[in-house]
Amino acid sequence: MRIVIAEDDPLLREGLALLLRAESLDVVATTGTPDEFLAAVDEHRPDTAIVDVRMPPTHSDEGITAAVEARRRHPDLAVLVLSAYVEQAFATELLSHGGARLGYLLKERVGRVQEFLDALHRVAGGGTAIDPEVVAQLLARTRPDSRLERLSPRERDVLALMAEGLGNTAIADRLVVTEGAVHKHIRNIFAKLDLAPTDRSDRRVTAVLRYLDDTRRRR
Amino acid sequence: MSTSGAEPARRWDVAARARTALDGLEHLVGGLGTAILSVVALFLVLVTAVACLVGVGVVLAPTTLRVLRVVADRERARLSRWGPEILGPDPVPPRLREALRDASVRRELGWVAVHSTLGLFLGLAALTLPLNAVRDLSYPLWWKLEGDVDTTAGLGLWVVHDWTGAFATSLLGLLWLVVSLAVTPGMARLQAWPGRRLLPPDRGADLALRVAELTATRAAALDAHTAELRRIERALHDGTQNRLVAVTVLLGAARRALTRDTATAEAALDRAQGAAEQALAELRAVVRGILPPVLADRSLSDALSALAADCPVPCRVDADLPERCAASVEATAYFAVAEALTNVARHSGARQATVTLRRHDDRLRIEITDDGRGGADEGTGSGLAGIRRRVEAHDGTFVLTSPPGGPTALVVSLPCGS
Repeated sequence: MRIVIAEDDPLLREGLALLLRAESLDVVATTGTPDEFLAAVDEHRPDTAIVDVRMPPTHSDEGITAAVEARRRHPDLAVLVLSAYVEQAFATELLSHGGARLGYLLKERVGRVQEFLDALHRVAGGGTAIDPEVVAQLLARTRPDSRLERLSPRERDVLALMAEGLGNTAIADRLVVTEGAVHKHIRNIFAKLDLAPTDRSDRRVTAVLRYLDDTRRRR
Repeated sequence: MSTSGAEPARRWDVAARARTALDGLEHLVGGLGTAILSVVALFLVLVTAVACLVGVGVVLAPTTLRVLRVVADRERARLSRWGPEILGPDPVPPRLREALRDASVRRELGWVAVHSTLGLFLGLAALTLPLNAVRDLSYPLWWKLEGDVDTTAGLGLWVVHDWTGAFATSLLGLLWLVVSLAVTPGMARLQAWPGRRLLPPDRGADLALRVAELTATRAAALDAHTAELRRIERALHDGTQNRLVAVTVLLGAARRALTRDTATAEAALDRAQGAAEQALAELRAVVRGILPPVLADRSLSDALSALAADCPVPCRVDADLPERCAASVEATAYFAVAEALTNVARHSGARQATVTLRRHDDRLRIEITDDGRGGADEGTGSGLAGIRRRVEAHDGTFVLTSPPGGPTALVVSLPCGS
């Protein structure tokens, strides 16, 4: 996997590169500004970009803008956005064009190397990775009288993992149940939330997040 | 000007009397200045009035009223310096008819008539009294220098033929002095009276103005507070948190490499330790920026000395503070000096800087000067605007003088609140 990193903090940038290279991943360029990043993407044509949300000059959401622009130029590019804190609006903005090859994680998740690598591979492979924190916020802020109330506790767990972008196998592993059970839960969830059933995990994520976001807004 | 309270009571009385008289004299001379301006304003008012009779005054009137307002504002500022503050009223209404109906404009017209006559007279008289005293007290000297000729002395009361006459004139000088001491304070009050009576805005308007002013400073305080929180949030997110994330990333990498490749693990652990130390250093810097521990434990002068020692430009602190001020005031003073010294180090190119602290009555005065290239500007995103916001939030004042080529002086004055 060929990777370009955009992170303005030199220490973190080098730390990330060191970690990925130690995992035999090919870090082709590390950059510190949005412009450098876009130039590096144009030049190296990586499979995956890892982008920090806060970048110069104003350190607000330049990273998101750069990621969206990079995706516009290279629609096949997988983008994993790292953020210092959960800003649900960033996730919504990123996912507004569908969730395929997109990820949004808190920076500290990188320290859990295996989970981080899983997320990275999932995104590079065409899937989605949404930080559990984002999903938890969306679930927590939902109206109490919403259709979510109809879900069983187990179904809520499945919904949360689904929203993070995990596929059926991974969900089954996490919850220590069979894949068949997960499949049944997911069918129930889609039915209870009136969502169109789909098997592609990135579409599932988009559908679920959009649903959660809607219920939150209607409060 | 201050006298020690430890001296004997009688001498203290004389000193106090002399000081009141000198203060009075100072006020009267200041009043003479505004009285001379009032004469000009009165002249303009009269010319405008005459011009109105012939029908061309309407063009002149707005300018005249504006000039009158400027002169009155000078007097307001002057009186505010040594008595209760007099706030300026709303601007002069642009339409002449409304302007003439405006109560504060009318009162200003009355004031200018009194101050340009009575005020002028009192100012001149106050100046003459001590001059007479000096002239007559030293009369024997002049008389001797002029060579024993007959001269008219004093108020022309007598002709001096001999030493007796000359010394009698000296006694007259003493009388002048006593009269000066006795009447000057009263004269100063009398001179200020029309202004104090006529220049404040209506009672209702006065309160409204005060409320407006307090609302503005309160908003500035909240703004400053928010900006401060934002700065801390930035420092924590972009500094400390990034360091800690780097620590977790490097630790993660080290753990993964532990069994495969100990050299990589070693390198990652080494960097992780470095990152953790940096995080601590940045955390210390952030905490110091919020409220420096040395300020809480020791004194403002100690805290500023520590700041000066950290400044890359050689910096001298001259602090003479007998007692502590309110904590928020000291924190603001510390913040102002810290920001100012950051600017000095970053932009001024100065070879040295000086921080001077003094407490006058209930105000803390801080002056930061440097011999750099000057041209400091509040609008260019330096921390200067931040200093102003914080200082004004405490009802303080902030004055920056920084001509191109330097030197730069920044003066902050804060009410001590204790």
